[in-house]
Amino acid sequence: MKLVIFEDLNKAANFYPISLSRPVFELRCGIFNLAEKISKRLAASPSAFLCRSYLTTTFKRRAGTVAVNDLAAVKNDTVLMVNGQVKACSLNVQAAGPSEIGMSGDQVVYCRLSGSDTAKIDAARIGVETLPLVAGHNLPIKQVADARFYQYSWDVMLDSPHDITHDFKLIGKRGIEGTIEQPSGIRGSKDDIYVAPGAKIHPMVVIDASNGPVYLSEDVEVHPFTRIEGPAFVGRKSLLLGAKLREGCSIGPVCRVGGEVEESVMHAYSNKYHDGFLGHAYVGEFVNLGALTTNSDLKNDYTDVEVLLNGQKVNTGSTKVGSIIGDHTKTSIATLFNTGSIVGAMGLLMATGEPLPKSIPSFAWFIGGVVTKGFGHKKLYETAKTATSRRKAEWTQDDLDLWEKIYEITAPERDAAIRKGRKQMVRKQ
Amino acid sequence: MAISKDDVARRVKEVTARVLNIDAAKIQTKDTFSGDLGAESIQSIELVASFEEEFEIEMDEDEALSVTNVAKAIDFIYDTCVKQGK
Repeated sequence: MKLVIFEDLNKAANFYPISLSRPVFELRCGIFNLAEKISKRLAASPSAFLCRSYLTTTFKRRAGTVAVNDLAAVKNDTVLMVNGQVKACSLNVQAAGPSEIGMSGDQVVYCRLSGSDTAKIDAARIGVETLPLVAGHNLPIKQVADARFYQYSWDVMLDSPHDITHDFKLIGKRGIEGTIEQPSGIRGSKDDIYVAPGAKIHPMVVIDASNGPVYLSEDVEVHPFTRIEGPAFVGRKSLLLGAKLREGCSIGPVCRVGGEVEESVMHAYSNKYHDGFLGHAYVGEFVNLGALTTNSDLKNDYTDVEVLLNGQKVNTGSTKVGSIIGDHTKTSIATLFNTGSIVGAMGLLMATGEPLPKSIPSFAWFIGGVVTKGFGHKKLYETAKTATSRRKAEWTQDDLDLWEKIYEITAPERDAAIRKGRKQMVRKQ
Repeated sequence: MAISKDDVARRVKEVTARVLNIDAAKIQTKDTFSGDLGAESIQSIELVASFEEEFEIEMDEDEALSVTNVAKAIDFIYDTCVKQGK
């Protein structure tokens, strides 16, 4: 059986702005991303990924040897295509069996094709991205009542603390293989702590695993007066600077984190170096949050948080949702985000002294309390190029092409915000 | 009726005066926005937005921000108005 993990094209926009620059199944939840979770659940490595075509080139760099939007590797084999939005823990499907399509409501959970059916697919005609949704068109449908999906980015963030504990057990590593300088404070069982080789824990650090495991990856460095509450995961080469890392944080590799962070997910290369509170947030990569940047994650009346996503108001069904912040966005000192803010990618945001609007489009120059054209999106690329080189990462022509496409996709929302901003700006003069 | 260059010039000066909080009568076409009129970088963004709102046009931000003085702004905005049928 060959495993193919696909993006549900009808739902990818639900995960904006995080999914603007990556397939939905690359979102982090706990220690792994959604594709890795599915792969582990089925005990099978993926043979191919299917995602929106404009992501192909940049995603290939991260997919390694796994094919992206190319099914040549699975031709004539029995193929199990799984929707990358499925919660792996709810995925119950046999690899072997007749060709069939598993549905939950109106969403495809999986599509299993026998070798002979796989051979019949004319991917060139129907478009490889849409294949899982149309390949099963004439197949028997099986209702999969117990399948559950992540429908929005905050669903992933809200499941992350639980999944850290789950993933920690799955990995099975325990103990101190790095260095912990004394005096230090460890609470809970040492069986619930893993400090990887090369990780350096300075003196006066508290690791509290009494309510969940703590996993510190290779070459993590933790500065004095940091408190890490489990469940927690910190990716390789990340730096904690006197941080109060409250329970449920999943920090990607090469991040720098200070201040107070709670139940949040942060992708690679992002910085929240200084004081300020980030709670129930989902942060993309190469984000830089200026000193004292703070988000609210709870409304004063304790009602469900509503967000404004792609122009639609959405009730999150949760009383705790902070900010969802897209890749490469940068905030000035003292930026304040309201509860349930959706902050686009590649933005440059200046504080106003008040909470910013709950929805800020991608490529926004948010200046003087309004969205402007600022110095243009090409200037933002220059900054992104500088930011990536500072972290010894690459900014290539492929990245530029990707972001040009994202600029185009996000234009309608941004243009409307700029027009509104112009009027507000002139009224203030 | 098509917009005239004199009209553009008058309104560019009025907008500039309003944004930079200076007297419109003292603005000369040879004046540079940053050097002579004291516009800071953020005010240059505000100027572009205000010109767009005043003339109901869309300007390419790179081209607009490369305009350094009042005379060039008048030319650029006039050309943009003509192109966009104002």
